[in-house]
Amino acid sequence: MRKTDILIAAILLIGAFAQGQNRQLLYDFNEIPQSLMVNPGVDVDFKWYTGIPLTNISFQAGSSGIAANDVFADDGLDFTEKFTREIIYGMSTADELSGNFQIEYLNVGFRGKNEDNFYSLGIYTEGDAIGYWFRDLAILGFEGNGDNLNQRFDLSDLKTRGELLNVFHIGLNKRISNKLTIGVRAKVYSSIFDFNSTRNKGYFVTNEGVNNFYSSTLDSDMEWRISGLPALRDAERDGTIASTITKRAFFGGNLGLGVDLGFTYNINDQTVFTASLLDLGFINHSNDVKRYSLKGKATVEGVEVILPDALSDPDQDFWDELIDEVEELIPFEESDDSYIMFRPTKLNASLRYNWGEQMATGANCDCGPYASSSNKGTRYANSVGGHLYAVNRPRGPQTALSVFYQRRIGSVLALKTSYTVDKFSFTNIGLGLNLQAGPVNFYVLADNLLGYQNLANSNYQSFQFGLNIISWGKK
Amino acid sequence: MGKKLCYFLFGLLILVSLQSCVEELNFDQFDDLQIEPVLEGSILYVEAPESIINRAVAANFYTQDFNFDGFSDAFFADRVIDGVVTYLVENTTSKDLNITVEFIDDGGNVLDTEFFTITPAPPVEPVLREIPYGGTGRSLDILRNTSAIRVTAENVNGDTSSTSSLPDPKVTIKSSGKFTLSVK
Repeated sequence: MRKTDILIAAILLIGAFAQGQNRQLLYDFNEIPQSLMVNPGVDVDFKWYTGIPLTNISFQAGSSGIAANDVFADDGLDFTEKFTREIIYGMSTADELSGNFQIEYLNVGFRGKNEDNFYSLGIYTEGDAIGYWFRDLAILGFEGNGDNLNQRFDLSDLKTRGELLNVFHIGLNKRISNKLTIGVRAKVYSSIFDFNSTRNKGYFVTNEGVNNFYSSTLDSDMEWRISGLPALRDAERDGTIASTITKRAFFGGNLGLGVDLGFTYNINDQTVFTASLLDLGFINHSNDVKRYSLKGKATVEGVEVILPDALSDPDQDFWDELIDEVEELIPFEESDDSYIMFRPTKLNASLRYNWGEQMATGANCDCGPYASSSNKGTRYANSVGGHLYAVNRPRGPQTALSVFYQRRIGSVLALKTSYTVDKFSFTNIGLGLNLQAGPVNFYVLADNLLGYQNLANSNYQSFQFGLNIISWGKK
Repeated sequence: MGKKLCYFLFGLLILVSLQSCVEELNFDQFDDLQIEPVLEGSILYVEAPESIINRAVAANFYTQDFNFDGFSDAFFADRVIDGVVTYLVENTTSKDLNITVEFIDDGGNVLDTEFFTITPAPPVEPVLREIPYGGTGRSLDILRNTSAIRVTAENVNGDTSSTSSLPDPKVTIKSSGKFTLSVK
């Protein structure tokens, strides 16, 4: 297997077991600098921070229709029967296999001369993929049309997209007042590769024929678009795969622009509302693009010979004419035309209520940015709230609803647990831990802990961890 | 009390997470997966009106070889495990007819022959015949090596003057195939 195939397979595999990009544990966990990445308007109190390169990694894995144990359990049952029951017919077109991972190379933030302004910038690699279960096409491939006469196999069941890209970002978090903090982050996307096929239409059906036994009709409006992959294949052949990936990751591929927006609003001293809109942007794929399309409609009833017309040319090749006619009616075409892909935009919103003992944070000093201007040097020991997440996907928005509880223990330890309901799970309990040892910040967030009882039977797992150095200024 | 409860809950969650395990899976089962779709479709349709039969000088009024690469295509030939070819011959003419369908290879050799004796109409007596291939049926190599189909129609009595009382008199040959392929 070639390296590019492995790379693509890895992305698809991530897609095959990964959920979305919901980071309900990280969201508004403002002890962690990376919370700025899910809400540029989060309430931060750092003087500066820097992420340790390559240590901040997030990975999410899940599937909405099936778990590995459903099919691969060593239970002695006939595998083909299990496969048919659990996958071919067990999954619906609403079941998705999707996922996301991010690896940070650079993430730094610092407070400006105007202490109400906090700047951050960085670089990370992101992989994102989604594939909906192509049920009708799978049934057609698995069973054929023979025992499915008059059944329309819907070509729109094929919906998938995936990408690997580098993201360069710079953001501003600005405290407008004691009540309101807003944030904006500009992003430049450098696409390494992209594939998508999301707007397919049409059907294949076999009916009783007019002249012959059966008529087979293909009405197709399908397109498959890729960018970057041809270059990676060539690079693999030439032994330059690493340099090609690096080049494409650093502005040598296809570029795009995006923006993140967010805010934190203190409704009162103890109640906080936040929201963010992430990856509102696009990538223009004009470099190393291939588009393959199959558009048209044709109905055939085999080779048809009707006399006396067919006698006019004794050398007439009816088979070739049939093939040519079908290819003319449904041409398979290839082009290099550019295309634009919008990024999967994410929406977050949360409502949090704080109570209990007021805990000191690193910023609770005489010289910190908020030492004399606000009460931001302290935080309540307890927080409880709800979080809404939505992401636009090829079949429409995908949402998740979480409730969370956060407990701060001194300025050293903060714990957060969440319960999330989405299409993947109704038993998703997550736990996050943030440890502040002097300037060293370590965090680990894990989702769906009950799934760890048997990972093979879990529809969803996620894991995120990282190391940062944080300063709140001189004491 | 609240703090203790909180610590207890977090401790419990951590313990749960530490208890992670993976039930034994057997991915080798994938080797046992059998994907055997059944494909069905029309093959050849020939239609000859009675007027053509009446105009023919010879009794053998029609012979034609049709190029047909559907069976010898690698995707089909390498995967077919069994199947049935179905014929339906309908005659609404006033003629006794003999119809022959032959499968021909690249060298022009006849691999398989199907012969139909058709009585004149009325009454119309369609002849339906199913020919199995593979298993206990005829050899699949016949299909794999077929590159053309030859159809021959003979006016048995040489009657070129009678006309059927049925509307639009003609002889039609329908054929279809239903094959099981082993994709995996």
